[in-house]
Amino acid sequence: MSTPRAAGTGHSPAAVAVENRLFRALAVLRVVVLLNTVGLSIYRSDDFTRPGLGAACLAVMTTWTVLVIRACAEPRRRTPLVLGTDLVLALGVLLLSPVAKGEDFTSSLPGFWIVGALLSWSIHYRWRGGLVAGALLAAADLTLRQDVTQSDYGNAFLLVIAGPIVGFMSGSVQQMATEREVAERAAAMAAERARLARAVHDGVLQVLALVQRRGRELGGPAAELGDLAGQQERELRRLIRTQDDLTPATEGTLDLVAELTALESRYPVTVSTPGRPVEVPSATARELVAAVAACLDNVRAHVGPDAPAWVLLQAFSDRVELSVRDDGPGIPAGRLAEAAAEGRLGVTGSIRGRLADLGGTAVLTTGDFGTEWELVVPVGSGA
Amino acid sequence: MSIRVMVVDDHPMWREAVERDLTEAGLEVVATASDGREALARVPAARPDVVLLDLQIPAPDGVAVTAAIAEQLPQTRVLILSASGEQADVLAAVKAGATGYLVKSASREELLDAVRRVAEGDAVFTPGLAGLVLGEFQRETVETPLTERETEVLRMVAKGLSYRQIAERLVVSHRTVQNHVQNTLRKLQMHNRVELTRYAIEHGLDQA
Repeated sequence: MSTPRAAGTGHSPAAVAVENRLFRALAVLRVVVLLNTVGLSIYRSDDFTRPGLGAACLAVMTTWTVLVIRACAEPRRRTPLVLGTDLVLALGVLLLSPVAKGEDFTSSLPGFWIVGALLSWSIHYRWRGGLVAGALLAAADLTLRQDVTQSDYGNAFLLVIAGPIVGFMSGSVQQMATEREVAERAAAMAAERARLARAVHDGVLQVLALVQRRGRELGGPAAELGDLAGQQERELRRLIRTQDDLTPATEGTLDLVAELTALESRYPVTVSTPGRPVEVPSATARELVAAVAACLDNVRAHVGPDAPAWVLLQAFSDRVELSVRDDGPGIPAGRLAEAAAEGRLGVTGSIRGRLADLGGTAVLTTGDFGTEWELVVPVGSGA
Repeated sequence: MSIRVMVVDDHPMWREAVERDLTEAGLEVVATASDGREALARVPAARPDVVLLDLQIPAPDGVAVTAAIAEQLPQTRVLILSASGEQADVLAAVKAGATGYLVKSASREELLDAVRRVAEGDAVFTPGLAGLVLGEFQRETVETPLTERETEVLRMVAKGLSYRQIAERLVVSHRTVQNHVQNTLRKLQMHNRVELTRYAIEHGLDQA
């Protein structure tokens, strides 16, 4: 199936599909320019010095147009022979113009019909083909003229310029189609790999969870094993979550969901987030994560190294809200004021400072129910 | 009368362990299944109160099984038990009609407690799930938004507060908190149905 076609052009199925479309469009154009030439020739039949030859040429052009449209409908029949004949016929009919219409003819015999050959070379042989065909056709046209008028020169110039341009664009579109096809295939493969990985991970997680469970029930050394399995299970689950979040983020932004979830490996914290990425400017994300980490360090220092904490991320159209909560004894009344009076800004100061720099607010609630930080930062159009 | 439970999981080791735990605690395991097809074939005859369902099972997957059970047996509750805690899957299962979600690393006691609560019709949330559900309601296209009180309760669940702690803070009964949580789940599932219906109409599937 994948035997290389047309050397040098290395056609992928997507590129071939693009070329097929272009040739279909060209088929329509060929018919239009043929009708135009035939119509004009009949209308101006007085121009012909040898009407018989003119009629024969038109018959050849019509026949060839039908043949070449059929041939070019299939990629494997776009051979050098077919395209060569196409160009040779165009040149031949063009060169017969002075014979059929007299030395002082104004409009050439094939007229615009020659663009069919020009564009088929552009599409199939890209810019080089377009340049060759355009130059040959222009040269043939100019050599026939007894005196080259402004519009003769203009037509020739257009042929030389249009050939390579159309060829270049055809090549670019085909290249883009190929690249997109490769990217799509890569994405499909990555998705399939992720699906397989999920199945494998799920099996491992199952066993780890089971070991943890049985270990706890058996007690003694088995409980230690169970705890280890539990740690690994949490770690693996977190890894999978962050891996799932590896969607390509917009340049200069970070996904807060992934960044905050990563904290679960450093702290005994439960991070709750929306089920979709929350993208904010990278600097904002880093500051917010640092502020949350500072809150969690505070929990570790004042409540205990294993004290649980909870982080909640909520994303609205104009702001993100972060809550960091613990179940500790709360900050004793007056301690913050005392610290401030002593000139120590401390952790609370640094958290408030970070948030103020982002144009947001940090509110601290504390009591015997625990301590909670509410961090709010404007984002999006409101920022 | 003991609670009738069905265990659906493709790992025999895990299935047996859960089955043993449930039986020892006096619950009745009325059926087991190792994939989605078996589960759907056995559930109508078994008529369990609670289906303990692993999300990652051979096709049809946990989400599809949840949807089918919610459709066919509205009295049967589905409690999702997932090893990986895949966010998208958990959310999809809850939208499809699951009443609760637990990670597999939960302890025996947590599991038993969850099964009993789900059997009573309670919604069993983890803070992570509450965060996901909150996120869904913060999209702008929600037709049945949460009341302020429901949002407040759900936010507290997402912040790791227990129902008891929430009841204390809001000075309401435990039952009231449970009702609020149940309502948010109901609204989420309703919203899902509205979306599905709209999708069906837009794609001409309602004509079939």
